[in-house]
Amino acid sequence: MSEAIALQEYEKGTSLWADAWHRLQKNRLAVISAAGILCIVCFAVIGPWFTAYDYDQQDTALGASAPSAAHWLGTDPLGRDLLTRVMYGGRVSLLVGLCATTVSLLIGVLYGAISGFIGGRVDHFLMRVVDVLYALPFTIFVIILMVFFGRNFILLFFAIGAVEWLTMARIVRSQVLSLREKEFVEATTVLGLPHHHVILRHIIPNALGPIIVYATLTIPQVMLLEAFLSFLGLGVQPPMSSWGILIKEGVETMEEYPWLLLFPSITLTGTLFALNFLGDGLRDALDPRVSKD
Amino acid sequence: MNRLLVFALALAGCVALAAGCGGGATDDGKKVLRVGNRSEVQDLDPHLCTGVAEQRALASIFQGLADLDLATMKPIPGAAASWTISEDGLVYTFALQPNGKWSNGDPVVAGDFLYAYKRMLTPALGSEYAYMLHCLKNAKAYNEGTLTDFGQVGVKVVDDATLELTLEAPTPYFLSMQIHYSWFPVPQKAIEAFGEMTTRGSEWTRPGNHVGNGPFKLKDWRPDEVLAVERNPNYWNAGSVKLDEVQFYPISNEQTEERMFRNGELDLTYTVPMFKIESYRKEHPELLQIHPYLGSYFYRFNLTRKPFDDVRVRQAFSLALNREEIAANVCKAGEQPAHFFTPPNTAGYTSQHQVETNIEKAKALLAEAGYPNGQGLPPVEILYNSSETDKIFAETVQNMWQGSLGATITLRNQDYKIYLDSMTGLNYDIARSMWIGDVVDPVNFLECFLTGGGNNRTGFASPEFDAAIRAAYAEPDVAKREAHLQSAEKILLENAVIAPVFFYTQKFLQDPKVKNVVPNLLGQYAWQDIDIVEPAA
Repeated sequence: MSEAIALQEYEKGTSLWADAWHRLQKNRLAVISAAGILCIVCFAVIGPWFTAYDYDQQDTALGASAPSAAHWLGTDPLGRDLLTRVMYGGRVSLLVGLCATTVSLLIGVLYGAISGFIGGRVDHFLMRVVDVLYALPFTIFVIILMVFFGRNFILLFFAIGAVEWLTMARIVRSQVLSLREKEFVEATTVLGLPHHHVILRHIIPNALGPIIVYATLTIPQVMLLEAFLSFLGLGVQPPMSSWGILIKEGVETMEEYPWLLLFPSITLTGTLFALNFLGDGLRDALDPRVSKD
Repeated sequence: MNRLLVFALALAGCVALAAGCGGGATDDGKKVLRVGNRSEVQDLDPHLCTGVAEQRALASIFQGLADLDLATMKPIPGAAASWTISEDGLVYTFALQPNGKWSNGDPVVAGDFLYAYKRMLTPALGSEYAYMLHCLKNAKAYNEGTLTDFGQVGVKVVDDATLELTLEAPTPYFLSMQIHYSWFPVPQKAIEAFGEMTTRGSEWTRPGNHVGNGPFKLKDWRPDEVLAVERNPNYWNAGSVKLDEVQFYPISNEQTEERMFRNGELDLTYTVPMFKIESYRKEHPELLQIHPYLGSYFYRFNLTRKPFDDVRVRQAFSLALNREEIAANVCKAGEQPAHFFTPPNTAGYTSQHQVETNIEKAKALLAEAGYPNGQGLPPVEILYNSSETDKIFAETVQNMWQGSLGATITLRNQDYKIYLDSMTGLNYDIARSMWIGDVVDPVNFLECFLTGGGNNRTGFASPEFDAAIRAAYAEPDVAKREAHLQSAEKILLENAVIAPVFFYTQKFLQDPKVKNVVPNLLGQYAWQDIDIVEPAA
């Protein structure tokens, strides 16, 4: 490692991020996935401007109809265009995935890193707090948060994130525990670097791999959680919809109107696949231990 | 290899165990009927209930003075073996069943009924359904606290086996009302073993403590899981009871209920999911039951809140509902659009006043109220109970109101009990509501909206309306009585206290092995008559 640092001085060092970007570009699957995610984001954000329908525009006389030229993905029992609803639902689902995961990342990573790096009594205390929060029935915890936050669904996203960070904190802590025994951390001590600098510049980048993998796993979790909370009347309220809600409704009429389950499910799984491949690619790309080429 | 074997064995064990536990209704020769019952019962104290699920369950463990022959809708002997009615139709003298007993073996005596009526009418108990008893002489005054001597109320114990009831006015449906839980006798000893007469929610209704006089007695009650009642050997007509046990499952999710029925875990369901009706019609018409039902689906307005304190806003909302479209396109079981509250031809009565659908008029009224095109109208929330069907209706009317009135409508769903509390506490703007008749008489629908009534839940208080209902109570002449009811319904609709949507049909799934279920307007079940006959193998 020290040799690598020495070499960098000579060949004009590139940053971790530039390296990562370089490596990511070489990973074809990750690039395709990233493009796919971009498409889905465009589909959800820009798509609704191009459909002829509104997400709550009903045509009860038409009712549930199979995919046709007028309604590419068919309509639901109230005659609403499924394509439009999947687009709008995507906004909610992607937003909840992004917000909640970001929140859980921020809290979990910082919490776990601090706990693991400082160690001793602080570590002990912080981890017991996590244990206590783990023991709280999860749903009740979210509902309590909702009582404080009201029924604003943007706040709900943060509330979900605020309860999803526990596992992240533990994973990061365990990584940090092993990292802090490494020589390069000893070196930072010798150099007299402040704690926050060590944690942010040296510890966390080295723990990025598992963090990213877990983050990509958190996204589907929070999307499905949002659907569940919406059913309880805490999340997005009808006629607004999300992928989770569309799928839940689709399951109920699976035998009668299979397209109502099929299309939202394909969209959701497609997104999750892409996210996972991209996460994989990012993990490889961001791993500072991978030798440069 | 070894590990695999252990795993396989464990799996086999699980399967065997599951098979052993599952079992059919008549595993050990017992006839067990498993019924979907929608929601968890509020209580098993007949004086503290308001729901339909409660009626179904309570009718198995209690019995009123008279029962109903569900095929003819004529009264038949219940806890009373016979009765005589005075010529003016005011005094009913009941002779109780000579071997009528409570489930603990105590005899059912006339005093038990007196105790029950007294408890029901005592203001301190705060029973929502107390007004059902107001047809008894002086009962209203006692219930409202203006009369404190119960001796003046028209209930008289002649002797242990004879009860004499005196009414305020001839009430044609008085006997058929006895099937409703507000008229059921309650066991004084059991109640007072766990509290005062007016203690709400005491332990007496728990398994082991509960005492009833119905064909079944309480066996097990696990909230949100199952309510099981078993044959009551002390029932006066125990020999005629065919089932050994009835299990009521509180399954609020219609999809779940339908799936359980398909898996053979239920014999009789509460309802059928809307979207399954078509496929049942096509594939299993023998399981699908659709029958007329005395029920109204409507939206309540909260008259104590802005903007619905203004009658013009309420009228506008009611006028903007396209009931034909809802009934024809959204409902799937032949429901009829409702332009008034009481279902048509309820004991010969059909409201003459009708609410129409007229978007132009609705807009004009809204503008007159100060909200042209919905401008300035505060966001309005529709409250409904967490159910897929009600969500669909809520979304439909939301769309109608937003589209035609320019109102901002949000939806909110709550668990059934919380939803009821919110309605009672007037903590809503618009609430999805329904009323299923307790007796086949229009007054049963209209009296809900008496000032201060437990089922009013709108804040509606109109002396003219109350006067019309009271006049109908007191009127012996059928034609004049109907005129009073007509004017009451007119007041209700003109004030747009509610916006009627459609009239229910009763729809449920029934396993062919279940016999003697008699479909009727009230959705009542005579559990003592129902039988299970396993098809010959």
